[in-house]
Amino acid sequence: MAVPVLELRNLTKEIPAAGQEPFVIFKNISLTVNEGEFVSIVGPSGCGKTTMLRVINGLLTPSSGQIFIDGKEQKGTDGDLVMGFVFQGASLLPWRTSLKNVLLGLEGKKPPQEAGQIARSHLNLVGLSGFENHYPHQLSGGMQQRVNLARALAVDPRILLMDEPFAALDAQTRTFMQLELLRIWSQAKKTVIFITHMISEAILLSDRVVVFSRRPGRIRSEFAVPLARPRDIDIKSDHRFVELENVVWKQIEEEVKASRESSLI
Amino acid sequence: MKGALKLISILSGLVLWHLVATRVVNDSSLLVSPLVVIAKGYEMMFVTAELYPHLVASSWIFLYGMLIAALVGVPLGFLMALSPVTRDYVNPWMTALYTTPRIAFAPVLLLWLGIDIASKIAIVFLGCVFPILINSFYGMRVVSREFVEVGRSFRLSGVALFVKILLPASVPFILAGLRLAVGRGLTGVAIAEWFGATEGLGYLIFFAGQTFNIPILFVGVAVFALLGIFGFQVLKIIENLATPWRKEFETK
Repeated sequence: MAVPVLELRNLTKEIPAAGQEPFVIFKNISLTVNEGEFVSIVGPSGCGKTTMLRVINGLLTPSSGQIFIDGKEQKGTDGDLVMGFVFQGASLLPWRTSLKNVLLGLEGKKPPQEAGQIARSHLNLVGLSGFENHYPHQLSGGMQQRVNLARALAVDPRILLMDEPFAALDAQTRTFMQLELLRIWSQAKKTVIFITHMISEAILLSDRVVVFSRRPGRIRSEFAVPLARPRDIDIKSDHRFVELENVVWKQIEEEVKASRESSLI
Repeated sequence: MKGALKLISILSGLVLWHLVATRVVNDSSLLVSPLVVIAKGYEMMFVTAELYPHLVASSWIFLYGMLIAALVGVPLGFLMALSPVTRDYVNPWMTALYTTPRIAFAPVLLLWLGIDIASKIAIVFLGCVFPILINSFYGMRVVSREFVEVGRSFRLSGVALFVKILLPASVPFILAGLRLAVGRGLTGVAIAEWFGATEGLGYLIFFAGQTFNIPILFVGVAVFALLGIFGFQVLKIIENLATPWRKEFETK
C-alpha cells in the first residue's frame, strides 16, 4: 500500500494548568489521508478542530503523538514547506497587493521571474486575473479568500490545510466559493484537510467527512461521501446527500446536547 | 468642500483675532492685529531679511534633533519590542526621562555641551525621541498575531519575518510617532533657544518679549506654527508614499 500523504498518530494537545488537571483540547487523534483525498472535519464549536489544524501546520506543538507527511515525521515549523494554510479571516498582508501576497511563500525560494509566473498563474486559477495590483482592502471578502487560496496553492504544497475559509462570507458568496473550490481542486489535484462548521459544505466538497466529538475532541465517526465527481449544486438534493447530512447532524446534535448538560452540572 | 470649510475656519479665526485686537484690547503693547503680524512678517522675510538667519538656525537644530531621534528611537523601540531583556533594562529609564519636564535638562545640557548647536540639538532630541521610540515599540508589539502566523506558516526565516511582516506592519505607527515628534521637537527648539542663544526663532521670541516688541513676538510664534504645519504636511506626503495601502482605509 502506498504511503499516505498525511498520517496523525495519537495526536493530543493539552494546556497545562498549575495545580489542576491539564485542559485537554483534543485527544488521541489518529487519522490517515491519502494522496489527492479531500477530507473535511466537522464538529461542535470548541471541539479543537482548528487547534488540530494549527498543530498539523506546526504553529503549535502537540503535547504527544506524531505527525507524518509522506512518511516523514514533522517537527514544528522546521524543514521544508510542505503545507499550504488557508486562514479563516483577513490574513492577507494589507501592505501587499494580491500578486505580492501570493508571492510571499515564493520569494527567495524561486527565481523572481519564475515566482512571478507561478503567482500569476495561481491568481488566474482562482479567477482573479486583472486584480494583481489590487490591495486587499480593494477586494471583496470572497475575492480576498481567493487570494488566500492562491497564496497557499502557489507554494505547491503536498497538503492544503483550510481553516473554515468561507466562514466570514455571506451565504450566497459562500455557496459560490464552494463551487469554485470544487473547480479549483479538480485542477490543482491537492490533498486537502478542510475544517468547517457547515455539514452541507463538508459533504459537497469532500471524499470523506470526519466528525469530531465535543471537547476534548476525538474522532467520533468517519463517513465516505458516496457521491460521484464532478459535483455541482444539484447534488445537494440527492437523497444520499440529504441522508448523510441528517446522520452527521444527529451526531453533532448529540455532542452539543451532551456538552450543554455537562456544563450545567 | 472640505478645503472650503478649512479656509472659512482659518479666515473667521483671523477676523475674530483682528476684531479682538482692534476693538476689545486696543492696546498694541499687548495684542496686535494679524494684519500687523503679516505685514511685519513680510517685511522681516522679504525686505530686511532679518528673519532668515533665525529661521535657518532653528530649522537645522530641529532637523538634526529629529533625525538623531529617529535613528535612535526606531531601532531602540524595535529592540525593546523584540527583546524582553532590553525592555526591562530600558523601561525604567525611559519612563523617568519621558515624564521629567525637558526644560529641567536644559541648563545641565548647556553646561555639558556648551552654548553651541550641540546642546540645542540634544534638547530637541530629548523631546522627539520618546514619541518615536514608544510608537515604534508599540507598532512592533501589536503586529497582529495572525500576520505573524501567516509568516510562520510560510516558513519565513527570522530575518524574513522581520523584513516582510513586522517592519511593514509597524510603519504606520512609526510615522505617527514622527508626527507627534514634530510638535515636541519644535517646543524643544523654542526651549533650547531661550538659553544662551544668539539667533533662532526661540531667541527672537524671547528677545521680543523682553523688549515688548509684540509684532515681532507674534511673527516668531506664527513662523513656529507654520513650521509645524509644514512638518506635518511633509510627513503626510511621506506617509502616502510609504503606505499607499492605507490611503483608502482612511477616506472610507
